[in-house]
Amino acid sequence: MSETVPIIHVVDDDASFLAAISRLLRANGFSVKTYSSAHEFLGQRDADAPGCVLADLRMPQMNGLDLQSALAQTANPLPLVILTGHGDISSTVRAMRSGAEDFLEKRAPKEALLEAVTRALGRDSRERDARRRQRDLRALFDTLTERELEVLSHVVRGRLNKQIAGDLNIHERTVKLHRTAITTKLKVQSVAELTRLTQEADIFPDLVTTFPKGQ
Amino acid sequence: MSLVTIIWSMIASACLTLAAINFLTWGRNRKAWANLFFSLLATGTAAWTFCELWMMRAETPAEFATALKWGHVAVWLVIISMVWFIRLYLRAGRAWLAWTVCGFRTLALVLNFLVGQNLNYREITHLQSVRFLGESVQIAEGVHNPWMLVGQLSLVSLVIFAADAAATVWRRGDRRTALTVGGSVAFFSIVGAAQSLLVLWGIVRVPLSASLSFMGVVAVMGFELSSDMIRAAQLARKLRESEAELRESEERMRLAVEGADFGIWIRDLARKEIWASDKWRGLFGFAKAERLEFGDVLQRIHPDDRDPFRLKLKKAAEGGGNYEGEYRIVLPSGEVRWISSLAHFEFDSAGRPILIRGVSRDITGRKEAEEETQALRRDLAHVDRVSMMGQLASSLAHEINQPLGAILRNAEAAELFMQEKSPDLDEIRAILADIRKDDQRAGSVIDRMRGLLKRHSLDKKFVDVGELVGGVAVLVHSDAASRHIKLEWAVADHLPPVLGDVVHLQQVLLNLMVNGMDALGEANGGDRRVRVTAARGGPKTVEIAVSDSGSGIPVDRLAHIFDPFFTTKPNGMGMGLAISRTIIEAHNGRLWAENQKDGGASFRFTLPVAEKDGAR
Repeated sequence: MSETVPIIHVVDDDASFLAAISRLLRANGFSVKTYSSAHEFLGQRDADAPGCVLADLRMPQMNGLDLQSALAQTANPLPLVILTGHGDISSTVRAMRSGAEDFLEKRAPKEALLEAVTRALGRDSRERDARRRQRDLRALFDTLTERELEVLSHVVRGRLNKQIAGDLNIHERTVKLHRTAITTKLKVQSVAELTRLTQEADIFPDLVTTFPKGQ
Repeated sequence: MSLVTIIWSMIASACLTLAAINFLTWGRNRKAWANLFFSLLATGTAAWTFCELWMMRAETPAEFATALKWGHVAVWLVIISMVWFIRLYLRAGRAWLAWTVCGFRTLALVLNFLVGQNLNYREITHLQSVRFLGESVQIAEGVHNPWMLVGQLSLVSLVIFAADAAATVWRRGDRRTALTVGGSVAFFSIVGAAQSLLVLWGIVRVPLSASLSFMGVVAVMGFELSSDMIRAAQLARKLRESEAELRESEERMRLAVEGADFGIWIRDLARKEIWASDKWRGLFGFAKAERLEFGDVLQRIHPDDRDPFRLKLKKAAEGGGNYEGEYRIVLPSGEVRWISSLAHFEFDSAGRPILIRGVSRDITGRKEAEEETQALRRDLAHVDRVSMMGQLASSLAHEINQPLGAILRNAEAAELFMQEKSPDLDEIRAILADIRKDDQRAGSVIDRMRGLLKRHSLDKKFVDVGELVGGVAVLVHSDAASRHIKLEWAVADHLPPVLGDVVHLQQVLLNLMVNGMDALGEANGGDRRVRVTAARGGPKTVEIAVSDSGSGIPVDRLAHIFDPFFTTKPNGMGMGLAISRTIIEAHNGRLWAENQKDGGASFRFTLPVAEKDGAR
């Protein structure tokens, strides 16, 4: 799994609650970092560290929901759990709609709190793995030359070598050479595997494929 | 046949025909006495005509005398009938004159039979033939009867009577009738009498022909009577026409009324009858031919509206006589309709109402729209009033949850630390210190709210308890009605004002009343009631109680209902009673709850009576 320990970032303007919840989370074996405002958190956090965020809904300046949308714009969008002193329906709905992982009252049962944190960390880990795999794949595809990428785009569209040669106005044997280079560099055995990998790496975003994407 | 026979027969048959017609008229209408007397008059004339003819053809003086004697019976009948015809037909003529005429004539008739051969002659000595209308007829000569004077007197009195009657009619304005009837009777009587005298005294040698004069009277009176009939026929036709016009205008009225969706009705108070148009019957759910009783109509009116309706009607009967009102009716099918009614009383000369006319109209649609608007307005007002409490409760909940949440998390953490083999006591001490600090913080939140209410929000003034209770009751009334809850309020007379902040006290009362209604749940049927009472609680307090007919408060909950966050409602915040108690205590009053003996909960609070120098 990941090399670094996930950190739970707790953001609340109430110092007393901040101290109490970090004690509880630490006692349950989590690593915790506390911030007294959303700005403080956004300024200090590690750009790529795993973890999740617990944020108070009502805070001066930037509240929990604002933090949620700001976080979603970054390269490391950690899952966020909203905490509130008193939850009403409208703010719950807004929080869930804006993509918050969960919405909890501050006096929610301990089990619910820990479950929400665990679930948020799980999601972060899954998303992080997916992001890393995509990054690795992209690095692999980066080794291909311009010509090879061009040939690849035709191959994944299901074109035959003869057709590709016609399209690119090159010899059919040259196409075959390019294909061998591609499969060697990407370490794949079949056209099907090649297509799946290309889609996963999202190399051709405008590719209207005959294969179902990401299933 | 001779001319005399022809003329005299024609007179007789014409008279008999008229007599028969008028007799039949009287037969059909026994009150038409004028027709009967005219019939007798014509009959008498016909008889006299016959006697005259008999005299003209007499062969011996004795036969002539006999004919004349019986002729006087006919004359008697003619004159008596004429007198009473005038009396009855013209409704004029003095009674004593009438009786005088009758008296003289009857006396003459008696003398006719008792003295001499007849009224005119003691003895007829011989007959003489004269030429009359080209033929030979008999006239009499003999010794005259001096009692003939009685007959003359009766004719004179008849002329006087007729002239007097005609004068009366003339003065009344009906000049034509006065002239034709009175004038003709007088004229023909004079002519008849004069001719008779001239003949009897032998001055003119012609036979007696009074029948011509009588015939004249019969003709004039017959003409009068028949023109009456023609007039009656004309009137009848006009009446029929105007009836048709009336029906037409009634029909037009009915169309207009039905078109405007009005049901019309008339209630005859004397005869205890109600007439109502079909439209009205449809509106109130009565069949078309059904007999209407006021009691049944009253039963249709919604029980809640019945007494106000009766009261208003009574006021209209005693006052100006105009009723105007709106009320609900419940049809046998259970359907409820809103009715708008206008009514007008008619009074007799003594000022007692005898008749009510009215129109009623279905205004259910309008009322429903109105109610919707009202409900909307009330909801807005409601939101406005509770929002202050709601905001307070919400921010209070948030503020107080902050330290409570910290306490909870600290306690949970401490529990976990304690489970370790060598617990970090310093950490646990720190936790305990934080818990104490947060507890104080929670307490201070409540203190702050209390202080807020005491220092800033409370705008204490003299408050009229009746206005306070009534104001909130009106606010809640529609809500109660829509939930089928009967809302009652009773404020004791002469309650002194209390000192307090009206808005805050309204919030408390509103909260308690809404709680009471919520306690009745959604269950239908049974006694669903919320009652607010206000009375003196002691020498210096007023006690207001809000009681419901629900199932009361379970004993184990009674101790907690005023705790913050204690709620039994799915969407409740558990702050209403807590804040209510805070508000009442800020007013130096008390708020508590108890279960009533006959079931249901009762929330009571006291407020101090305002001292004269109490208001700041």
